[in-house]
Amino acid sequence: MATASRVLGWLAALGLAGGLAMGFGVAPRETTQGFVQRIMYLHVPTAWVAYLAFGVVFVASIVYLARRTDAADRVAHASAEVGVVFTGLTIAAGSIWGKPTWGTWWTWDARLTSVAVLFVMYLGYLLLRGMIEEPERGARYAAVLGIIAALDVPLVHFSVYWWRTLHQPPSVMKPGAPTMPPVILATLLVNVVAFTLLYLYFVTKRVELLRREQEARLA
Amino acid sequence: MMPDNWGYVAAAYALALVMFGGYWRRLRTRERQLRTPPSRRRGR
Repeated sequence: MATASRVLGWLAALGLAGGLAMGFGVAPRETTQGFVQRIMYLHVPTAWVAYLAFGVVFVASIVYLARRTDAADRVAHASAEVGVVFTGLTIAAGSIWGKPTWGTWWTWDARLTSVAVLFVMYLGYLLLRGMIEEPERGARYAAVLGIIAALDVPLVHFSVYWWRTLHQPPSVMKPGAPTMPPVILATLLVNVVAFTLLYLYFVTKRVELLRREQEARLA
Repeated sequence: MMPDNWGYVAAAYALALVMFGGYWRRLRTRERQLRTPPSRRRGR
């Protein structure tokens, strides 16, 4: 486990270095937005990884409720925690990008609001886990909340189609070919891989720590 | 065409560094705490 975590850590570091080099050295300056468009190489991958993290919480929580295995609970807990970090950064980076492009740090449109709700629900998930002293009951309640909160992910994704929003619709995760030049798409995908590796590194490490915390409690 | 606004880009990437770096440090600290025997942890 420790070796896998170390390998993932180095792969993530290499991927992030490659993503930065492509984002700032290879991808061209965007015609309309200029230099500030490079925030996309941070904002979009962290958003996708947040979707992934909460998707993992959803699946692991169902497995926990069906089989009551501690391993599934640890994966759900770790993925929710890392997902909250990624979602927080998605919101913050999006806000910083929004100020020069939209003229505002924040607006209560459907995409931004549904992401904020997602963030708050998983913060609540983590608080709930911390509040309940009996581990089995805490895991059970958290699993239920983890499943309910993950139902917001499709709402976040489709909000730009279902409501009129300031946020633009997806350029890649949509039916048909992506609407961006190949070099920009390649840079985005390299960053997606890098941030996914970082997510896997954090989750692997957190799962191991949760296992050791549990062992220390039982000792 | 918009002005470059490089300060916003720097702020976004610096924030990412702080958030991921902070989370990584938190995991490392917890790892060290769990490696320390409970008797020594209580003595601190």
